Amino acid sequence: MTSSTLQRPAPVKRGPVSERSARTGARVAPLFGLPAAAVVALLLYLPFLWTTYVSFTSYDGLASPVWTGLANYKAMFSDPDLVGALVNTLLWVVGMVTLPVVLGLLVAVLTYGHRWGTWLRLPFLLPYAISGVAVGVIWGFVLQPDGALGQALGFFGLPGEHTGWLQAGPGNTLMMIVAVTWQAAGVNALLFVVGLQSIPAEPLEAARLDGAEGFRLFFHQLWPQLRPITTVVVGLSIVGSLKTFDVVWVMTQGGPGTSSETLALSMYKETFVLNDYGQGAAIALFLSLVTFAASILYLRYQLGESREQG
Amino acid sequence: MSKVRTAVLVVLGLLWLAPVYLLVVNASKSVDEYDAKTVWKPAGFALFTNFADAWSKASLGDTLVATTLYSVVSPVLAVLIGAAAGYAIVVLKLRYGFLWFVFIFGGTIFPLQMILMPLFSGYADSGLYDTRTGMIIVYTAISVPFSAFVMRNFLTGIARSVFEAAVVDGGGLFRIFRSIYLPMAGAALAAIFILQATFVWNDLLLGLTLSQSESVRPIMPALTGLQSTYGGAALPTVLAGGLLVSLPTVVLFLAAQHFFSRGLALGQF
Repeated sequence: MTSSTLQRPAPVKRGPVSERSARTGARVAPLFGLPAAAVVALLLYLPFLWTTYVSFTSYDGLASPVWTGLANYKAMFSDPDLVGALVNTLLWVVGMVTLPVVLGLLVAVLTYGHRWGTWLRLPFLLPYAISGVAVGVIWGFVLQPDGALGQALGFFGLPGEHTGWLQAGPGNTLMMIVAVTWQAAGVNALLFVVGLQSIPAEPLEAARLDGAEGFRLFFHQLWPQLRPITTVVVGLSIVGSLKTFDVVWVMTQGGPGTSSETLALSMYKETFVLNDYGQGAAIALFLSLVTFAASILYLRYQLGESREQG
Repeated sequence: MSKVRTAVLVVLGLLWLAPVYLLVVNASKSVDEYDAKTVWKPAGFALFTNFADAWSKASLGDTLVATTLYSVVSPVLAVLIGAAAGYAIVVLKLRYGFLWFVFIFGGTIFPLQMILMPLFSGYADSGLYDTRTGMIIVYTAISVPFSAFVMRNFLTGIARSVFEAAVVDGGGLFRIFRSIYLPMAGAALAAIFILQATFVWNDLLLGLTLSQSESVRPIMPALTGLQSTYGGAALPTVLAGGLLVSLPTVVLFLAAQHFFSRGLALGQF
């Protein structure tokens, strides 16, 4: 055995070492890639396919799924509770692409180039490090009837002291959008600062020498150049707002009734509270498709950018 | 102009800090002293009593141990699995490497809602439901795509000659991975780890769906439970709980701000 192996001209001696190892590498490589692919296939793709199938069926998790075609999808646009959730989700998307984006831009522009910029930005970044659940706990407290916000309004003699902020729609959704704005504006500011840093300084200086200041400088010089990063921020905001669950779950559980439910929350309730797996799956797939479309929109923009640069 | 700028920022900043102020002040009041009518005024200092109450009475203690376990073990596993995939694709030139990459990274495109129900059923059938092993597995799986994405980008930037030199030195492919590439990727690995550990720590949805007992349930679902059971009666305890679970991520964030911003850049660009 041993001698025969020794006698055979060892392939090792042919060609340079690196070429050989490259060949061995390509042969062993799947072993290194396999754990990642297997874990992703088993825990992400397989469930994804099952949910897709179940969304076209009536299924309670016990008996076998019964094919019902598009019934679950039709229900999404006819069942009043689900339509309400759809409208609330739309409110979240609109709210999240305006409030935190505008505030983030404002904070970025004001702190950029400021002597204490990093420090003045810190209060806005702090909430980002806090979980959605903790944000819900804090704002649930702030928005209690006659709570912190009410007392502050009363102190300044403003109306609304006794408002039950979370007790009716769509006001409760709007207040929760404010809560998430508090959390999200800082990250947007950080992203806009990254965008500002990539703008060449010379044209700005030239514009300043021409006497452009404040709003004029911003709208004519900065804003056009911030478009790529704005696309990214808006895209991320859309994707994030579609998934809104944590804050709502903690602050209102979608209530009172279903007045503040989002689709992400309806999906959870339909599936795990009402055992209507098919309906939950249809909502999940709908959310996925919209998320996917939004991602493509801003990813394509980004890829286009990098292709131009490269 | 500069003065107006500073003034606007200071006012906005104070407004932003107000909820934090309210949280700290009211989490510090003793349950008896707390008065719903004067939440803006500080009164007494019972923060540590409230921490202790949240820890024991609401049994946040048990879930804190479990969550710490998940937030350390899962990101470490994900970082290693993702790094191995990156190594296979970039360094070992895996055949159809780009397809492998698209497949692995594609796992993050859809929202969690898409996988909750099958995971719940599958976990119930296989005995993984409400086990720490089950939680570690799911958190690892969720973290792998991002880890592979960052590691692939990172390894692409390393010269081919590093690999050739290592092979000439006679290292096996696994040893080259472990003792040359992993140490070189230190900063990238740390960035991934911090981001994924934060994600696991802050997760609500998976914990809510796949666990129920106190020793398995992660911290965020436990905190929502605390909120609904204690509600109005012991608000300072609930707020102290909220503060307690936020401290680790806030400290981590402040300590590693540049990692976070770099991580953000890695994730987005």
